[in-house]
Amino acid sequence: MNSAPYSDRQLDSERQVVVTGLGVISPIGRNTEEFWEALAAGRSGISSFPLNGNPEACAGEIGDFSGRIQDIGDLEEKLRKAVRKALKVMSRETQLGVAAAQQAFADSRLADDEPDRSRIGVCFGAGYVAMMPEDFLSGVNACKDEQDSFEFDRWGTQGIPQIEPLWLLKCLPNMAACYAAIFNELRGPNNSITQGEAAANLAVAEARRIIQDGEADAMVVGGTGNNILPCSLMHTMMDQDVAPGGPEPATVCRPFDRGRTGSVAGEGAAALILEERSAAIRRGARIYAEILGAGSSCVVNQSRVPDGAQALVNAMQATLRSAAVSPEAIGHVHAHGLSSHRCDIDEAVAIRRVFGDRANTLPVVAAKSNVGNSGAGGGAIELVASILAMDRGHLFPVLNYEEPDPECPLAPVTSSDVDAGGSFLNLSVSPQGQASCVAMRSAA
Amino acid sequence: MSRRVVITGVGCVTPLGATTESVWQGLTEGRSGIGPLTLFDASQFPVKIAAEVRDWSLADVGENPSRWEHCPRQTTFALGAGIKAATMACIPDGRIDPARLGVYLGCGEAFEDFPRFIRSICDASGAGEFESANFTETALRIFDPDAEREYLPNTPVSHLAALLNAQGPNANCIAACVSSAQAVGEAARLIRHGDADVMLAGGAHSTIHPFGVTGFHRLSALSTRNEAPSTAIRPFDRERDGFVIGEGAAIFVMEELEHARGRGAEIWAEFTGYGSAQDAYRITDTHPQGEGTSIAIQRALDNAQLNSDEINYINAHGSGTVLNDKVETLAIKRVFGEQAYRIPISSSKSMLGHSTTACGAIELAVCLMTIRHGVVPPTINYTTPDPECDLDYVPNVARESPCRHVLSESIGFGGQNAAVIVSRFDERAPGRVATRRAA
Repeated sequence: MNSAPYSDRQLDSERQVVVTGLGVISPIGRNTEEFWEALAAGRSGISSFPLNGNPEACAGEIGDFSGRIQDIGDLEEKLRKAVRKALKVMSRETQLGVAAAQQAFADSRLADDEPDRSRIGVCFGAGYVAMMPEDFLSGVNACKDEQDSFEFDRWGTQGIPQIEPLWLLKCLPNMAACYAAIFNELRGPNNSITQGEAAANLAVAEARRIIQDGEADAMVVGGTGNNILPCSLMHTMMDQDVAPGGPEPATVCRPFDRGRTGSVAGEGAAALILEERSAAIRRGARIYAEILGAGSSCVVNQSRVPDGAQALVNAMQATLRSAAVSPEAIGHVHAHGLSSHRCDIDEAVAIRRVFGDRANTLPVVAAKSNVGNSGAGGGAIELVASILAMDRGHLFPVLNYEEPDPECPLAPVTSSDVDAGGSFLNLSVSPQGQASCVAMRSAA
Repeated sequence: MSRRVVITGVGCVTPLGATTESVWQGLTEGRSGIGPLTLFDASQFPVKIAAEVRDWSLADVGENPSRWEHCPRQTTFALGAGIKAATMACIPDGRIDPARLGVYLGCGEAFEDFPRFIRSICDASGAGEFESANFTETALRIFDPDAEREYLPNTPVSHLAALLNAQGPNANCIAACVSSAQAVGEAARLIRHGDADVMLAGGAHSTIHPFGVTGFHRLSALSTRNEAPSTAIRPFDRERDGFVIGEGAAIFVMEELEHARGRGAEIWAEFTGYGSAQDAYRITDTHPQGEGTSIAIQRALDNAQLNSDEINYINAHGSGTVLNDKVETLAIKRVFGEQAYRIPISSSKSMLGHSTTACGAIELAVCLMTIRHGVVPPTINYTTPDPECDLDYVPNVARESPCRHVLSESIGFGGQNAAVIVSRFDERAPGRVATRRAA
């Protein structure tokens, strides 16, 4: 069977999709200006963090985000009240996602135009929202016997009544997308993609298809994640090679560097507003970038071993095909850049396979070196970083890239004066062998 | 759009069986799949009933269960339904390019191991004060990494991709109880856009777990008719008091029409419409006038290029809560007007329970069968009409009713709404000869 010819896929090329708003909440900045400034200056947001009793452990924590109304940014008065109340029953990752979405929505100034909000939707990447042990303390205590042992038989009658009525909602990954819609009265299509680190690119791709189909005029997209709360951390440490840490936290996350020892857990969220291009132009919107194409893949071999390299190759090739762009035309690559031994090698192999010898000089950036791995939030944060780089004209350094690893023959950027080029690919891959890719070009 | 999407395979694992025939038989006989909750000791729980999948294992589809022993129940259901659907559609098929075969599911979140979670809390509260770091330390010691890895919602799609060498688009979505409806709808969209030729799409979930009962009970969502399980879930009935937690999976092989013809694949039905919409009201309650629900239904109709009077049957979300059934009735009236009184509507949840993220897909499978058999299944336990729910819910007894275009709707926590339409396969695309609505 042949693949569908180009002409079928260009069906919807009359409706192009552009980016008209950005928002980011990360360990190096709680808005796009702070974030960009820190990236350009090569600043790290990774700090010492008490993981599992290891004194040298570190993580990308957003220390000054407490999930209160002040952290959500500028809001109209009527919205402040609803948001303040709702924050109390949100998980941290939902709070981060909501904050990023509000920023992006405000940045787009879409609301100024009095749009038809039934034609604005949301598609957000979210992770496995971990349960908070704190939510169970009083329930557990209520079930203890005289010897201070927990009695399961008591849970139904004594424990359950201690649980907050809305507890379950807190644990649902679709809450960021739902709150973004509720707060801004957005009745368009609404979905949450739960594909680990590959989620945000998938959300962008899906939202783009929805706009191309004419089922929405604009979509709030992005991703949010937290890998440092207890249950999330447990999953991260079981699932990935997390670096043991070191005396200098800022040096621990070292994508593609020969001395890398593993990934760094983090938290964060970012959001983008996608809009149909001619409508954006008509309302005089600031256009940051245009989406050229997207693709995804999952490759796992017969022995159930994920093949991240092949998945990334497939995702990139599908993206370039759908964008009708050749690898030579891509300005830079925003790598997944996890900083784990295996994953970085897989990624380098994949980039080499697609770009050939050009991989020797193709600029590669990796924002995880500054902020760690925030699960579904990472892909969105990386999109924002690359869009800002194209907007400002130059890239930002991959932190701690000091000694090239022969197994990762790439060209990571190490300064702040490398041209960002007019287009980029954003790469993401999950430990389960799922890769996603988005291609964007600058608005200029 | 020039590309049409048809369904060439179906697999399901439900409380009424793991074949479409057994599920259909159960539904048309009005048999309840709800019984006592046996998956954990619920004797001291406020809710002691559930719709459980019984007497089933992965051996049913030729897989060695021990190969998947660390997987939570919903993953095994997803694998079972997926393998069955693929087998029916003769996949693997050497003529399919692996990069053009993808997987998109709405598999729900798994719950943490209850005893280990509690133990980690207890160990971390040793001195009276809870220490987060102690919790993590204990958890890392006592939780089983092989099991924990399988709890992530993106693992079922990864496993299915592995089993079928499906290297194409791969995604999982969670949008509460509309998840698998949206997975199916978005998979169809991927095919229409030319990003794939074949997609396995559907969903799986199980909330029959101490945390599941805890959470839903605190939301006052569950029926507490423990003494008479088969009568507990009573959609649209005046005495309804909530839903019954359930589990299951349904997965479809969705395929581009010409591609299916080229392979000689059997066509079950055509996937003709999909709509998604948000209530944008409150996180806890459905919009009182069914705003998002009616928008989603209208979007699906527009997508299918059908008029509302062309729908022959509605498979309702019908969860059996006081609010849902009332609002859903209102939404149907808003879209269909007087026609609402003439369309048979039923809730399969009355017999299958509520499988949360999986219900959209399972109920879509029911819709396929209504088209195939020209019979609509009943809403059982309907004994006392509610003046606020005054439509034809096919009370208690299945009925012959030719079905050409069938609508399934789903409503989820957080204001989620999705509607899908499947149609008897016709060489002509549906809607082309129907009168268009004025723009």
